[in-house]
Amino acid sequence: MNDGCDLEVFLSLVERHRRYMYNLALRMTGNEQDAKDVVQDSLLNAYLHLEQFERRANLRTWLNRILVNCALDHLRSRRRRPDVSEPQPISDVADTIASSSPDPERLLASADWRRQVSAAMDTMSPLERVTFALRHFEGCSINEIAQTVGIGNNAAKQHIFRAVRKIRLALEPHWSGR
Amino acid sequence: MNHLSDDDLVLHYYGEDAPDMVAAERHLKSCAQCARAYETLARSLDAVTPPEFVGSVDDLPDLREMIRARLRAHSSPLGVGRSTRWEETGLIALVWLVPLAYPFSLQALFGSARWTQEHVVGIPLVAFALIWACAGPFLAMSAMNRFESHSGLSTRLLVFGALMAAISPALFLFVSRVDASLALNLGVWAWYGALAVAALAAMVRWPDTSYSKEQLSYVHRLTALFLTVFVLAHVINQALAFVSLASYTAMRGVMRGASQQPATYALLVAAVVIQITTGAAVSMKNLRSGSFARNLQTVSGWFLAAFLLVHVLSPVLFSPPTEVSTTAAASASQFDLLATPRSAAQLPFLLLGVAAFLSHVGVYARLAALAYLAEASVRRLSYAGALVGTTVVVAVGLSLCGIHL
Repeated sequence: MNDGCDLEVFLSLVERHRRYMYNLALRMTGNEQDAKDVVQDSLLNAYLHLEQFERRANLRTWLNRILVNCALDHLRSRRRRPDVSEPQPISDVADTIASSSPDPERLLASADWRRQVSAAMDTMSPLERVTFALRHFEGCSINEIAQTVGIGNNAAKQHIFRAVRKIRLALEPHWSGR
Repeated sequence: MNHLSDDDLVLHYYGEDAPDMVAAERHLKSCAQCARAYETLARSLDAVTPPEFVGSVDDLPDLREMIRARLRAHSSPLGVGRSTRWEETGLIALVWLVPLAYPFSLQALFGSARWTQEHVVGIPLVAFALIWACAGPFLAMSAMNRFESHSGLSTRLLVFGALMAAISPALFLFVSRVDASLALNLGVWAWYGALAVAALAAMVRWPDTSYSKEQLSYVHRLTALFLTVFVLAHVINQALAFVSLASYTAMRGVMRGASQQPATYALLVAAVVIQITTGAAVSMKNLRSGSFARNLQTVSGWFLAAFLLVHVLSPVLFSPPTEVSTTAAASASQFDLLATPRSAAQLPFLLLGVAAFLSHVGVYARLAALAYLAEASVRRLSYAGALVGTTVVVAVGLSLCGIHL
């Protein structure tokens, strides 16, 4: 374990990665409070296991790996105490988003749409959600995702397929026939 | 080219279909049906945009205070990390205590079994002694889940202690055989000598192998497939003994005939040697604190390696074969391993062997199943598998104690 002096050095080391970590955590967990908890837990874990950080490795890669595992743990514990709210109907949201006018109506529709996407993502299992977020939002390759999460390439691929199927199931009815 | 499946379209959208990317693009240009499906997919996925964290990330003072508070909770008033060091020392002492006390658990097992013949109330004592004798791998699992770092003397002492605790039932039999085969007559001191050698080995820093985990795992899985056929037939037959001794004896004869053919035997020995060496290398790369599945696979792999070493290599290493047989029922003509002190030593060895095999294959199957099934289904299947495995282990245990239907 590290002593008190190392804490300041550690915090200045991770400072430039924190904004990125908060965004990644938000994309995996879906809400800001959970993202904050995940980032705090992962930074604590990183500090406690600082001696495991190999000098040849990239700090962000190492922090990402810890962050992803913390997010998985967090999502799994969240599933054990579900707080699922009914997704709101979309109505004509898809049409409104498709238009380019940045008026208040469109902004409101955009928020509705985001809620619908968020509800679709809430139906995903923790592994599906994390692998999808890493692939879709972060642009990580399937190989990188498999290594970060600690599963096989094929398993990572299948989780992404299942996640995309859930997204399509929730969103495609609003595109069909248009 | 055939129509593109939904999964092909997803791979194409993310640019993960490298060898077939051009062909897929060409197909999308010529096939209206696939082009429409791809357009719908892309429209849905394009609409899923990344959320941005809008809250403040300037929570450095809070973060600093939170980490300090958590560190204070971890540490004693005498200094940061001191309690963790004491905890680690206690854990190391505990894992080494298991192999040190192992011979006494066998005496307790045999003694309580004899007492049971006179008093029925001795049955719980037999169960307690059996739990004691089989506790090593479970304690090793617990130690592996708590271990904190990958380097340093204390970690090596912990890992080697966990290894010795896990394989005590198998290694004890092996050492006893060496002692008997070489007519050293050291008795229990041969066992303590082996433990001393292991403790010395823990002091040395071991080099990291240059082969990647994937290469080693591939060779490991290949030889495992071959061995699984033999081991599974053995386990099923051993469970069969609970139902019918005659069927058990007949099937054992057939299996022995097959495995004692020179070619088959040479293949078996080679597969076991490859399993042990590749398994040891992979397990040292796999150690991870708090990862239950990985550590279960590592600890069950350690025991399987020691089990196979004793079970398959003994006739090669010790010639002429010693009187002690590792085959469950053959060692005691009345099919009761609690009948003699020598056969009692085989009860935890065989029981843990079956449990280790089922756990090792089960964890691998669970990881492989994640590639094809949803997590929730895999979890349900794992529970069902654990239930079936426990039933098999109990059936084998009862048959080895001379209890049959």
